[in-house]
Amino acid sequence: MSDRALQDDVIRALADAPYRESAAWRARRLADPDRVERFARFLARHFYYERVVHFFKYSRALARVTGRGPEAVLTRPGFEALVPTIVLGSRQTAQAVAQLVVTHVGGAGPVIPYLADLLRYEAAMMVVEAGPRIWRDGPERKDEGVGSAEWSAPEKVEGTVLLELAYDLPLVLPQLLRPWSDVPQAPARSTTLLVARSPHGRVAVARSTAAVAALLRLADGRKTLAQLALDAGLEVRELEQTLHGLVELGAVRFSTGS
Amino acid sequence: MASLSIGAFYNPHLGAELVRGDGIDHLAMADPPAPGDPHWPAIRARHTLLLHDYLGQLSEPLDERSIERARTLAELYRTPWVAEHFQCLHTVDGTYNLNYVFPPLYTEDFLERFVRNATALKARLDQPLVMENIPGFFDVQASQLPEPVWLRRFFDATETGFLLDLPHVWLEAHYRAVNPERWLAGFPLDRVVELHVAGVEEDRDLGGPWIAPAEPSDEMLGFLAHAVTQCPQAKAVTFDAFSPSLTAEALFRSVERIRAAL
Repeated sequence: MSDRALQDDVIRALADAPYRESAAWRARRLADPDRVERFARFLARHFYYERVVHFFKYSRALARVTGRGPEAVLTRPGFEALVPTIVLGSRQTAQAVAQLVVTHVGGAGPVIPYLADLLRYEAAMMVVEAGPRIWRDGPERKDEGVGSAEWSAPEKVEGTVLLELAYDLPLVLPQLLRPWSDVPQAPARSTTLLVARSPHGRVAVARSTAAVAALLRLADGRKTLAQLALDAGLEVRELEQTLHGLVELGAVRFSTGS
Repeated sequence: MASLSIGAFYNPHLGAELVRGDGIDHLAMADPPAPGDPHWPAIRARHTLLLHDYLGQLSEPLDERSIERARTLAELYRTPWVAEHFQCLHTVDGTYNLNYVFPPLYTEDFLERFVRNATALKARLDQPLVMENIPGFFDVQASQLPEPVWLRRFFDATETGFLLDLPHVWLEAHYRAVNPERWLAGFPLDRVVELHVAGVEEDRDLGGPWIAPAEPSDEMLGFLAHAVTQCPQAKAVTFDAFSPSLTAEALFRSVERIRAAL
């Protein structure tokens, strides 16, 4: 095993609690198990503190009304119970930690009409952000533009989410982060948001349309552009424009035909 | 030794105080300025700025995107040097990421990697490159060299500068149960360009002290005063605290105490 592979093994042991318990890791005897466990717990709390504070910043801004700060979950029994299963950066752990926050802050009761929508939105952001990512571009990386002959079958990127909300949250979010005395209100209006992540980990949100929803439902990595246009009832030009936007957001990628 | 520049990190929530306040010779930039930061123009106009962002881990070559980002930030800040860390925190395949500074194995292979990749980065920058030491909470058996020896060989091979993080050295000494000054003596102090100093606090997961955005203790300031006498090329000392919980009072008081200790 190369030194780089050994380093990856240590990183994995710190990030992946079940692996830390495995016979494979323990047999390596690379480091003091107690020290590794303590540092892994420290890293887990740090990792999810940063994410909870970032992705639940709107709920955090409302804490003086709800009386519940999102990051409080990280020192509560629910998080301690999760520790043996935590895999830093995994979608499953992001989902579990986000659910702790949703339950905790949502338990404040109906003090803010759109609170449930807001928590779903923030949890979706945190979960979409999770998962492996590209940390550095290789020289072989190619442009994934629409229209390239090599790329022909659009595919929804795993983890991309369409959120159906009862309130128009995008109108209220910026207000929540500015000084306010009365709680800013969101219009009660059915709203669909697309939440996606680029391969480099940038999370983006956009209002969704019927065309976007149809494309995300149909883009399975097998249908050609012509088939998609037919099935979605779109002109090819409209389809390409919509796909271009979805690729930019990270919601869709192109599979090779081979 | 020329007079030392004494500074702190730019904490955007303290932007108004940092624009008005006195006693800060420089500000280190951990993140690019937010697009809507109202204090940024005045901060840039008034202060010497040091680039101290995450550029990438030098166990692998930086890609063009990262190098261009580093060059752009260096130009924006007009930084006198560019800082990066001796860290390897995500796996090659991108599956696992610690999101926290973590040192590489101190082996010949990693030494060769860091030398090669730091040399390549240095060649693409218009400013000198400085590299910061990272603390280990535990030793990995696969390491082949003591950290100070590995660092000495790195700096000799690359002729880059050393950003000596003193709390990192202090913590390692603490967890090795050795005297901090004795542990420090092994590091390549003749290469030091900048020093970081800050407080440490008890962490319940670690069951002991760790890095914290806190004021340095009198003991840490004494350690700093000693270290500076051993670093003939040092140009700057930075209060290493970057956190929304940091208050303006704590930042200015820490800088003032650092200045008094030196």
